[in-house]
Amino acid sequence: MERTRRSSPVSPPLEYAKEGTEDFSVLRRLLLAPEQVQLDRLRQRLDTFVVGPEEVSNVLPDAIRLRAQQDNRLLASMVPITQEALALSIKQSPQLISDSIAPILGSAIRKALSRAMREMLQSLNQTLEYSMSWQGLQWRWEAWKTGRPFVEVVLLHTLRFRVEQLFLIHKKTGLLLNHVMAEGISSQGEAAISGMLTAIQDFVRDSFQQSQDEGLESLRIGDLTVWIEQGSSAILATVIRGTPPVKLRDVLQNTLDSLHAQYSDSLKNFQGDTAVFLETRPFLEDCLQAQFVKKQKGLPVAFLVLCALLLALLGWWAYHASLHHQQWTEFLKRIGAEPGIVVTSIQEEEGRRVLHGWRDPLAVDPERLLEEVGYSSNAVGFHLEPFIALTPEMVHKRAIQVLQPPESVEVSIEGNRIVLMGESSHRWISRVDQSAMAIPGVSEISMERLIDTDVKQFETLRNALEQQAIFFLEGQGRLPDRELVKTQQVKHILQELDKEAVKLGRELSIDVMGYSSPVGSQSINLLLSEMRAKKVLDILSEPPYQVLKLAAMGKGVDPDGTSVAGEEKGYARSRRVSFKVVEAKTIHPPREAGVRKGP
Amino acid sequence: MIQKKICLLGAFAVGKTSLVKRLVSGIFSDKYLTTVGVKIDQKKLSIRGQDLMMVIWDLYGDDDFQKVRASYLQGSSGYILVIDGTRKETVDVAGKLHELAQKTIGPVPFVLLLNKHDLVDEWVVECPMVSDLRDQACLVSMVSAKTGEGVEAAFTALSEAMLRS
Ligand SMILES: Nc1nc2c(ncn2[C@@H]2O[C@H](COP(=O)(O)OP(=O)(O)O)[C@@H](O)[C@H]2O)c(=O)[nH]1
Ligand SMILES: [Mg+2]
Repeated sequence: MERTRRSSPVSPPLEYAKEGTEDFSVLRRLLLAPEQVQLDRLRQRLDTFVVGPEEVSNVLPDAIRLRAQQDNRLLASMVPITQEALALSIKQSPQLISDSIAPILGSAIRKALSRAMREMLQSLNQTLEYSMSWQGLQWRWEAWKTGRPFVEVVLLHTLRFRVEQLFLIHKKTGLLLNHVMAEGISSQGEAAISGMLTAIQDFVRDSFQQSQDEGLESLRIGDLTVWIEQGSSAILATVIRGTPPVKLRDVLQNTLDSLHAQYSDSLKNFQGDTAVFLETRPFLEDCLQAQFVKKQKGLPVAFLVLCALLLALLGWWAYHASLHHQQWTEFLKRIGAEPGIVVTSIQEEEGRRVLHGWRDPLAVDPERLLEEVGYSSNAVGFHLEPFIALTPEMVHKRAIQVLQPPESVEVSIEGNRIVLMGESSHRWISRVDQSAMAIPGVSEISMERLIDTDVKQFETLRNALEQQAIFFLEGQGRLPDRELVKTQQVKHILQELDKEAVKLGRELSIDVMGYSSPVGSQSINLLLSEMRAKKVLDILSEPPYQVLKLAAMGKGVDPDGTSVAGEEKGYARSRRVSFKVVEAKTIHPPREAGVRKGP
Repeated sequence: MIQKKICLLGAFAVGKTSLVKRLVSGIFSDKYLTTVGVKIDQKKLSIRGQDLMMVIWDLYGDDDFQKVRASYLQGSSGYILVIDGTRKETVDVAGKLHELAQKTIGPVPFVLLLNKHDLVDEWVVECPMVSDLRDQACLVSMVSAKTGEGVEAAFTALSEAMLRS
């Protein structure tokens, strides 16, 4: 409509023209018609002024915001209505309310629970993390030295910051409205401290002529910082250990602001009764924040080193355990195979192993076996009864021990027979038979291949003697000088033979036989041969022998000499004295060479 | 719990600090008195079944009472005016401090203590001198910080007066 009128300004004047009669009116209408219409309409609107919902809806949000900034009267007037509305709403549709509250409550409860859990875990974690490290050890030492609990020392060292106490203080009186502390903090005289904090503020303010709104913002004492948030009627003093982040300040200021909004009347009319401020506790407790130094990820070096050491130790132990085991089995194998030792049982006694069984006194010392395999000998005990083993090895050992054979004799055992090989003196051989039979497990002795060195020597000497011949000149019983020397050789052989005979225990006679050549008469030859034999005997008789006896006999013409008859050379060989050993094999025990003195 | 702030007022060396010491063993040392000009202690009392935390501000001032910071008086619910019985001039100072207190905090209860009663032989202060103050005080008492005579009673009396008002 409006639009139509404005777009066709010619038509209204025509309307007025019908009504008016005066010229002036006409003129006015002609000149001011459009404005007149507008004025009329404005008047009409003012006369019937009602704020339409449209207009209110346009300004309502801003209006509420503006008013809330100005003061809290709007809030105050809203409270009863809201409360009633809420109450009514709960009455009418409780399900709706509980549905909408449930998620909030749920998450709030979850949050509270998880916070409690986190705090618990954190202190546990830290304690664990640090209890293994080098750092941890140092702190343990510190804890021990200072007498503080380890957890507390860890806390102090790992803390970046921690809000320890909050004082909500009434500004005008300096009285303490509420006070919260972090866990483990003990406090005394909060009321006095609260007053002192206010006094110090006043002091600073007065001293440096600051306005009432200004105030001390922070104090620092060593590791402690006190942050002071100023409100119109309350101040919030926060005691922080460590270095707090700046954004904590916002948290504190916001807390103080919201407390102001909530308790403005109580703060204004505060007369010393702090009961109403007990409800501020959760808000203040929310400010009890803490942050810890992050430990670098990964295992701590000290922990790794410890692990490596442990592993090495374990390896070393395992190596030794297996070596130990190896040595033990080796030992058992060895002792099991050892002749003359029979292990019947192995028992654990007082932490050591004791072997029970039998041992031939000639068997190897078991301690030596232990030593050889390298097993520690004091970890093993032996309880071995003595016995005589009849195994070939032990019989052999015993034979060696009993017979004490010279190095040139080899002793071996074949079943129950002892076999001797090699050569030995007559003295040893003559005893060996008897001794050998006394060895347990021996019932036969074989000495076929055992050579008697004394017999051998005797035979050698006998041969040597019997090949000797002393030659005489034709028809003479006198010895030429050359042959005289030879008799000395013969005498030497005889002396040796005499010694051997003593050793062998034999009586010994030597025939000294004289011969002659066939030249000449038989009777003369006999005489001559006799003469020659006696001549040699005389020479050989001195010095006397121990058992040897010499007998001179004339044999007449040499029977062998005839085979080469006719030759002067053959005859010359017949004019001689030869020797023959006649053994008188008397059996008596052999005697020491030196013991026997003369026949 | 009810908390009340009270102040100790009086000339230099009348025994204010000694009186507080009689009552509590505080956490702050006396050096705060000279540096910050105040030392604060707390004392929990039980007045007819009502717990009361008394926060006691011991103000430092030499004889020039103007040096007492008015801001420290703010918010007090009562005060203790101390006179040294052995020194006449302390009466004057007490009067002026009383005026200052009434001006700054308004008509709050106070007790008037004539201290050093143990030295009663040397007393120079006589009753007429304090008659003005005596009429307004809720209690006038002769006390001794040295012997402890009347000290606790004086604080209790002030507490009762404060709880009543
Ligand atoms: N004999 C006696 N001396 C006191 C008494 N009270 C305080 N004094 C002494 O007076 C001096 C000043 O006391 P102080 O408490 O420091 O006074 P303040 O300046 O008012 O705090 C000190 O030497 C006290 O020992 C009292 O009751 N009797
Ligand atoms: Mg003093």
